Amino acid sequence: MSEAMQEASAQDVQERAAIDRSVRFPVLFFFTSAAGWLFLATLLGFASAVKLAAPELWDVCPTLSYGQLFPAHMDSLIYGWAMQAGFGVMIWLMARLCRVEVKNAVTLITAGFVWNVTVLIGVVAVWSGYGNSMPWIDFPAYLWPSLFLSYAVIAGSLMMMFRRRREGDVYVSQKYIFAAALWFPWIYATANLIINHTGGSAVMSAGVNAWFMNNLIYFWFVPVGLSSAYYIIPKIVGRPIYSYQLAKIGFWALAILAGWTGFNRFLGGPFPSWMPAISGAAIILMILPIGAVAVNFLGTISGRSSLMRYSPSLRFTVFGGIMFNLYGLLIAFSSYFEVSRLLQFTFATLGFDIMIIYGFFSMVMFGAIYFIVPRITNCEWPSAKLIRFHFWYSSYAIITIVAFMIFAGLAQGGAIDDWSGDFLDAVRRGKGYVVALAIAWALISMANLAFYYQLLMMFFGWGRKTDGPTLIHKNPGEAESAEAAAGFATEETAKA
Amino acid sequence: MDEQNSTESNLDYQAGRPAVRDGHDSVRREKPEPVAGGNSKVLISWVATAGLVLLMAGGYFNGYSNSFNSSDTFIYPGYVAAPRPLIDGASGPVEQKPWIEDWMADGKKTYGNCIACHQATGMGLPGMFPPVIGSEWVDGGTERLSMIMLSGILGPFNVSGVTYNQPMPAWGALSNEKIAQVMTYIRREFGEMPEGKTGVVTTEMVKVAREKHGKRATPWAEADLLAIPADADLPGAEIDLNTGKPVGKN
Repeated sequence: MSEAMQEASAQDVQERAAIDRSVRFPVLFFFTSAAGWLFLATLLGFASAVKLAAPELWDVCPTLSYGQLFPAHMDSLIYGWAMQAGFGVMIWLMARLCRVEVKNAVTLITAGFVWNVTVLIGVVAVWSGYGNSMPWIDFPAYLWPSLFLSYAVIAGSLMMMFRRRREGDVYVSQKYIFAAALWFPWIYATANLIINHTGGSAVMSAGVNAWFMNNLIYFWFVPVGLSSAYYIIPKIVGRPIYSYQLAKIGFWALAILAGWTGFNRFLGGPFPSWMPAISGAAIILMILPIGAVAVNFLGTISGRSSLMRYSPSLRFTVFGGIMFNLYGLLIAFSSYFEVSRLLQFTFATLGFDIMIIYGFFSMVMFGAIYFIVPRITNCEWPSAKLIRFHFWYSSYAIITIVAFMIFAGLAQGGAIDDWSGDFLDAVRRGKGYVVALAIAWALISMANLAFYYQLLMMFFGWGRKTDGPTLIHKNPGEAESAEAAAGFATEETAKA
Repeated sequence: MDEQNSTESNLDYQAGRPAVRDGHDSVRREKPEPVAGGNSKVLISWVATAGLVLLMAGGYFNGYSNSFNSSDTFIYPGYVAAPRPLIDGASGPVEQKPWIEDWMADGKKTYGNCIACHQATGMGLPGMFPPVIGSEWVDGGTERLSMIMLSGILGPFNVSGVTYNQPMPAWGALSNEKIAQVMTYIRREFGEMPEGKTGVVTTEMVKVAREKHGKRATPWAEADLLAIPADADLPGAEIDLNTGKPVGKN
């Protein structure tokens, strides 16, 4: 095994420990507040799904209506959980890969605090009906500069770390983080300026909104998630990434294509027809970077996939990677008019969004958090059982959501396409599937409660202090690493 | 859990001395930071796939883009537009009202000026004010009628074989549109239009009449009107009753 990486030297260990210590508080701050938001977001998701299935429930209270619960759910999921988890992972990865200690921990925490307060005000405003009803940016217009500024501070810190980097080669994860840090301010400011400030036609606002949603996925969730996967997979498998060239191509293809997507959400909509057409073509071309990533991960992990049985980080990350690839194929398929006339504007869209935000991004973030937190808190995850619970409940629920929402979409879309039918009848056709949505969110809420509990234990330093990682299928102390548990380490020593 | 030991290792850790011997085990056991390998054989298959996907995307764009024509939206072949949506309380789909209904309704409003003499029924007052119904002045050419509307008329004059002496005041102060609407109204509501005639008077027609006859400050006498042929119509295009636009233009 000439590809296998060298064992770490004592000096390396000291250096890494120093870096981990320097990022400890900002990263933990982002992770714990993100996990809190996640729990709230999944509860809101459950409540909104219940409201969809039983609209007459709690109907005296507008705060508990679907129209106010659902945007609050999506906003807390995106800005509360996903982006903050992303910040934590970005900071830690950037520090580790650039081999620099973080010197502005207080600034980062302050920015994180501003972010949290802004998101709190925004979610409360949206929840009580003061949102601007543009999906994913429905915070009241006066809030975005504050989010923008705190993001700029975080992104600026990442840039500074990158400038101070010590290693010569830039690893692909660093590229993705650097790019995502720069892309978000661009799409966020553009969308907010056009939608909230420059006025203009309402149709175009909807178009810009769709552009923002797709670009938040391709210019932020995808690069940040991939930066983490590109780190976790080779790190745990103990091999270099399969192909440097593929990684490079994947990165640049994403960078070139992502900005064109978005209008495919309005195929056949009231836009000049080349706009949805160009977005749909970009979505189809997006198969290329996604395929490059898939081949690269498969090549890296091949022959060592039994590690997934033991390492929670690898298992969550690989699950996310699979979801990412399925998403790429499904969304390309549904950009054909013959398909989208059945799926467009139905629950299927929600299914696809959850697939990428939760199935891919959140699961990859869980993987990274399971990897990072023991290193920065100097203790091990308390319970393998709870990790197992977290994984199975989450993955089962996500697959349920995606599958049932696509079925619901097909059931609805056929009815919406028939213009002589009653619109409410089309809505009702999805009703049975919505029950599955509610059950799935309930499962995810339980899984996340377990995750939140474990994370808080780690935060307060109450994790296990014994030797050995918390592996999914081994008792603590039985194996030194996932590799040893899977029997690879001995094999290698024998060969050496 | 050994309380003493864990406190010590945490102290070490926080003081900048990574406690490699006992705590911070996770950092010790982890592998070096990942690097990228150089397997480039796979690139060939990627490029081959890229060709296929490019073709797919190109075909897609070609099929849906309408050649960058910025004014066209994509319409699926065989697409049938849905009827206008139901509005609460309505029993059927809301139809676009034909233009003529609005035009007549406005004319009826303006006719409110006329009912003191001609009555809401259009019958007039026998012996005092002539009827609009069955009047050859109303049913005939629009030029004569427009002259009466613009400048009024002095008696005596003959309507349907009866002579009337009351003068009719001039209504030239009304806008061309209002005059056109009220003329349309009395012709279609009270008059009897010959086969093939809609009876519609447009704003443009009244404008022509005003240019031709509007300078006269005093009311007409019957002789003045009789000098105009009975079937002389004001020039103007035929109107599509649904759209209010000249026939053949939409």
